[in-house]
Amino acid sequence: MRRLSTAYAPVAAVIVAVIAVLVWFLPSYYTGLLTLIGIYALVTIGLNLFMGYAGQVSLGQAAFVGIGAYTSAVLAVKLHLTPWLGAVAGAVAAALVAFALSFIVLRLRENLLALATLALGIVINVVFNEWDFIGGSSGFKGIPGFALGSFVFDQRAYAILAWVLVGVGIWFAGNVVQSTYGRALIAVSAGELGAQALGVNSEGLRRQAFVLSAVYAGIAGAVYASSFTYIDPTSFGFLLSVNFVLMSVIGGLRSLWGAVIGAAIVVALGQILQTVIPLVLPGARGDFQSFFLGVILVAMLILMPRGLTSRFASDGAA
Amino acid sequence: MTVTAEPITLTVSAVSMRFGGVQALDEVSFGARGGEVLGVMGPNGAGKTTLFNIISGVQRPTAGSVQLGEVRLTGRPVDRVAALGVTRTFQTPVMFWGLTVRESVCIALTACEFGGSYPPRADRALLPSGLGMPARRRADTELRARADAMLERAGLTHMGDRPTESLAFGEERLLELTRALAVDPRVLLLDEPLSGLNPDEVGEVLRLIRGARDSGIAVLLVEHAVGELLSVADRVVVLDYGRTIAEGPPAVVAADPAVIDAYIGDELE
Amino acid sequence: MTAALWQYFLGGVVDGAIFALVAAGFVLIYQVTGIINLAQGEFVMIGGMTAAALTTGGMPVVGAAAIAVVVAATAGGLTYLLAIRPARGGTALTLLFITLGVDVALRGLALFVWGTNPYSLPPFSAGNAIVVFGGALPPQALWVLGTDVLVFAALYLFFRHTRMGTAVRAAVANPPIASTFGIPLRTFAFGSFVVAAAIGGLGGVVITPIPGVQYDAGLTYGLAGFVSAVLGGIDSLPGALLGGFTLGIVEHVAAGLLSPGWDQGIGFFILLLVLVVRPQGLLGRAARRA
Repeated sequence: MRRLSTAYAPVAAVIVAVIAVLVWFLPSYYTGLLTLIGIYALVTIGLNLFMGYAGQVSLGQAAFVGIGAYTSAVLAVKLHLTPWLGAVAGAVAAALVAFALSFIVLRLRENLLALATLALGIVINVVFNEWDFIGGSSGFKGIPGFALGSFVFDQRAYAILAWVLVGVGIWFAGNVVQSTYGRALIAVSAGELGAQALGVNSEGLRRQAFVLSAVYAGIAGAVYASSFTYIDPTSFGFLLSVNFVLMSVIGGLRSLWGAVIGAAIVVALGQILQTVIPLVLPGARGDFQSFFLGVILVAMLILMPRGLTSRFASDGAA
Repeated sequence: MTVTAEPITLTVSAVSMRFGGVQALDEVSFGARGGEVLGVMGPNGAGKTTLFNIISGVQRPTAGSVQLGEVRLTGRPVDRVAALGVTRTFQTPVMFWGLTVRESVCIALTACEFGGSYPPRADRALLPSGLGMPARRRADTELRARADAMLERAGLTHMGDRPTESLAFGEERLLELTRALAVDPRVLLLDEPLSGLNPDEVGEVLRLIRGARDSGIAVLLVEHAVGELLSVADRVVVLDYGRTIAEGPPAVVAADPAVIDAYIGDELE
Repeated sequence: MTAALWQYFLGGVVDGAIFALVAAGFVLIYQVTGIINLAQGEFVMIGGMTAAALTTGGMPVVGAAAIAVVVAATAGGLTYLLAIRPARGGTALTLLFITLGVDVALRGLALFVWGTNPYSLPPFSAGNAIVVFGGALPPQALWVLGTDVLVFAALYLFFRHTRMGTAVRAAVANPPIASTFGIPLRTFAFGSFVVAAAIGGLGGVVITPIPGVQYDAGLTYGLAGFVSAVLGGIDSLPGALLGGFTLGIVEHVAAGLLSPGWDQGIGFFILLLVLVVRPQGLLGRAARRA
């Protein structure tokens, strides 16, 4: 079990292959869900590097998804840039913002870092809302899709794209966490002063992990914008950031597969609750699901603070 | 025993530290040479840990400075001070939970190569690590061998694969000391490395301290076990209420009335 | 221009009064338990919603208000018993995430109970707007400000002039020693949640006649409340008062001059600034407990 859990590249390749086959048989509703899971998983993999391995916290990760999405969308709509380059630009933009902000927020730890990243997420969302050039509160419509030659991506292609990115993302992150670099992140998270006293530039490491998590989020955002063709500030609000935390916690913070599992569970659970709740409790709106998501988050933290994957896939220890 | 031929490695010049109305250190000055064990003595609250915090960059002194050779350390962050050659251990060992014993030593061996260090080390940078470059894998194999050699020197070969979470207190102390030695420091600050150890472990730590001295490291030792401290130190500095009250060879200092007074006063309190 | 500025300022004072109440709850819980309770704003929403729903159903305001405060306090107590206490021993971050989960859950619950419709509550006293140097204040603002005076005075008296308040302060200053003296830390932790939630609920009741309330109002109050708390110093009750009014006024004036959408952004910009420049806040002693 353990060897399987750390053989990141082969397992990721198998998953991508299975999904590439699956999308030809699934109804489009489920293909859409698969895409969404892939996009969220990508963000959560990056978040787990920052929170689980480097031991930091971000309650504003949705903002970097938004930056990636808006960058790609603006370049595509206003400059007719292909979303392929838009995704790269989105990642770069998110990375630059994270880099600049790291000098402010990464001076803080734990509770205060959580508050600062939360604040950051909201400030960035306000900018999305108030900046007319990027559509203000009404958002951006008609975002061009990805294309290969004359083939414009459809639902299936987006699902495959999202999961190829998850595969690449997990391969890269897997290499990182199994390298001495990844262990240095763990050292910083476990005993920052002890690591510094040996000469580890912990500030640099935490900054790099933060920027890397923003790159994952930025790419995910660009794919999100093109596959849904429409974005507005509410798509990247505080609640999405909370959802990423939920995915991280459910899967297990210090686990890369946990990120994927967490994303799948949260998305699936959201769908199930949306269908089941009105049947069981007539009159309850589908949005009532957030009650259960909150309860699950609390229950997970009390009962299994290291996440579902802690039993078989925690890297680093053992 | 004192190797007077060695030049002064670490210079502490007129270091003072105030916390609000408390003068924790008052113009403390001394030098430490490579290849000597300098014991730092003093009753509780004399300012020993504050002194270590200032030398290692954890705290900034209100006045005065610390120099390593010609390089000023004061004002530099902890990791830069360490990269220049001054490392330390802590009263409560700091463990890297989540890593094994060997992995912890690997981090120490490569400590200066992460986080955008300069000059950049391709082997340990983020991108080559993530891309899984073959050169990195070779470097990792070599690193593992060096870590095992360090563990062998410290007599910890059998613990290499154990998770650090599973270590007993004495084993934590030994691992922390091994990590500190792995960075190949010029100055090593040990904050009560013997407290909480059984006699076997005390012997082991003293052996490692002597080994470090013989390899030319300047070892600064804060220790409450006065007997052991006097037996291993080449020279002793005694602090009381933040001031240096005595300095010299262990036998001389131990007989100094001012020192006895300070310690007995402490006992009576 | 000056008149407009003055009007923004007055509006900010009303905002500040409610922010200060939410901040007081934050500070209370943080001081006693070391937990940053991100669900604090939901107690304001619960108070406002309960009062508004009950009066809409025909109940007199006084009764509705009393029940609303009790409901909010109960929610606070349950939060502690069901979510915080079972996780004791968890890291600061685990506890923070738990309060985040509670926040989301309470909002979802409110949605289920009350739906998405906005509710309103009639002002407690009839009458025209009060004119202060040419600026207008709604009469309800006096109720909000009066509640501030009452709550902060009560907290001051409790902490400075009662045996129990002294015991709480001792417990905060040195938990291990306090518990050897038989000071019941867990009871105080439970109490801090109940009282903080009751203060939040009361704030919700008195503020609701001005802006109205709906299920997701708690987030805004909560965010503003903890910006105020951090601004004033998260371990200082006078800081909560100062931080609340400072934030309310700055936000309101800046939003008036720029555009209403920016107010939250400005609030959080201030938070970032404070966290970096003076993490212990205006009146706080230390950013983190040692």
